[in-house]
Amino acid sequence: MAIAWTGLAAHVTAPPAVPSVFGGSANVVAVLVLLLEFGMFRQALLRDQIRLYAAQSAAVSVLAVIVAAAQNVPELYVLAALSAALKVVIVPLVMRRVLRGAGEEIAGSGTLGIASTVLLAIAVGAFGFFTVGTLGIAGATLPETALGLAMAVVLVAFVLMIVRRDVVSQAIGFFSLENGVSLAALVIAARMPLILEVAFLFDLLVAVVVFGVLIRVHRGRGQSLSTAELTRLRG
Amino acid sequence: MASGTLPIPAVQALQVVTIAVAAPGVSGVIAKVEARLQGRRGPRVLQPYYDLAKLCRKEALAPEGASWFFLAAPLVAVTCYLTVPLLIPVLTSYPLPLGYMGDILGGGFILSLASFVVAVAALETGSPYAQMGSSRAKTFGAITEPVVLFVVFTVALITGTDLPYALAATVRSSAGQIVRPAHLLATAALFMVILYETGRIPVETHTGTNEFGMIEEARPFEHSGPYFALLKWGSAMKQLILFTILLNVFVAPWGLAATARPGDVVLAIAALLGKAIALGVVIAVIDNSFAKLRLFKITEFAAGAFLLAVLGVFTLYLGGG
Repeated sequence: MAIAWTGLAAHVTAPPAVPSVFGGSANVVAVLVLLLEFGMFRQALLRDQIRLYAAQSAAVSVLAVIVAAAQNVPELYVLAALSAALKVVIVPLVMRRVLRGAGEEIAGSGTLGIASTVLLAIAVGAFGFFTVGTLGIAGATLPETALGLAMAVVLVAFVLMIVRRDVVSQAIGFFSLENGVSLAALVIAARMPLILEVAFLFDLLVAVVVFGVLIRVHRGRGQSLSTAELTRLRG
Repeated sequence: MASGTLPIPAVQALQVVTIAVAAPGVSGVIAKVEARLQGRRGPRVLQPYYDLAKLCRKEALAPEGASWFFLAAPLVAVTCYLTVPLLIPVLTSYPLPLGYMGDILGGGFILSLASFVVAVAALETGSPYAQMGSSRAKTFGAITEPVVLFVVFTVALITGTDLPYALAATVRSSAGQIVRPAHLLATAALFMVILYETGRIPVETHTGTNEFGMIEEARPFEHSGPYFALLKWGSAMKQLILFTILLNVFVAPWGLAATARPGDVVLAIAALLGKAIALGVVIAVIDNSFAKLRLFKITEFAAGAFLLAVLGVFTLYLGGG
């Protein structure tokens, strides 16, 4: 079929470079982190929202393991194990306990419909994606796309926090924002000293405690998890 | 003939014949699997063929006031469905001469023409169900169309062309091409569009009788006899064409004939049917494990597919997709 193949070749004009299998799979996991962030828009049950957060954290840990194995950075195994223990197990446990006390299961509808929220988040995420792309920051360990994706995760998490009108979703949005930041850290500074990375994880722990207290106080005052009541100023 | 090769036009004709003949059978297998999963015995695998034969013997009626277009539409639609297999890699990994008549967009246009013609014929009837179905089909079609466009953009950015043969060859070329996020995202988005286009469960109940959630299934309500048979056969062909595009271009472009030897071509037919049935089983499982979305939630489904396709293009733009 030589004739047919040359005919095909005439139509093919210089396809862009193919990423390596490592680069490709690392990017797939990074895309998965972003997709899980988008999945949180769809989730109405607060319990499922927490489950999505756990899955997202697991994806970040898996990415750390991939980087550790492919780029030979053994500290990252420790970091992956620590962050998995904290973000996949402990934080969801704490949040679930807080929820059990609250006795509410369903997040109230957001300020926008789900489809419009997703479109808005695509636009916002694209902004972050391309802004970072133009900076041309190339990490030593991970492909540049992952950095753009990390930025998109952070911005989409902001959209989640802005659009949702209940305390739990906002807390989860904040925690998943931290996931985006860890993703960015993996891209730019995978060889950062372990002690610094662990310090960030403790930061998250503080945030969890603060949010837990906040949710309880809010629940105690307003008898609901909704923030819709908080629009009026009180003297 | 054992050592000889088939003439190329014969291979090309065989692509059309394979789709036309096998399409009802694939539908039959999916219906059977679906029934087994629900604990029913289900219809025979060959039931769609018997249905078509029965309908062909029946009388054809047209509603009062419907113009010639009402009866012409099924013929035009089937012609469209018979044209598309010329453009896509059904059996061969090498492009056949008429494959250059149109690219992926060209094939998409022909499929849309078929669906448009059926919708207009449904409007001709004046029947509320048929009109509702065609209006919904066009509304949601307008939402899923951007997804298809972005999938095509992804293909174009990956291969530098928008010929389906080129993407299939690219996917076969290395493992890096398979795991790249752009490819996976575009494939997932296309799969969601196919669920919509074939009227499968998150969007529509496929085997439903009259109900308000109907979209595609409501359109041929007023057709009867051989014309109805053509429409049913056409929608089975459309399903197999979409399966073929997903399988032979995106997911598994293996098992295609690299030569025109009869043995290879027969093997390619068997491979295509095997892959289509495997995909059908996946779809039957989805059918049984999800609930139908409310009509106004279909936009969320489309937004999800759009998100996947757009992310595919984005990752490509930063060079890492």
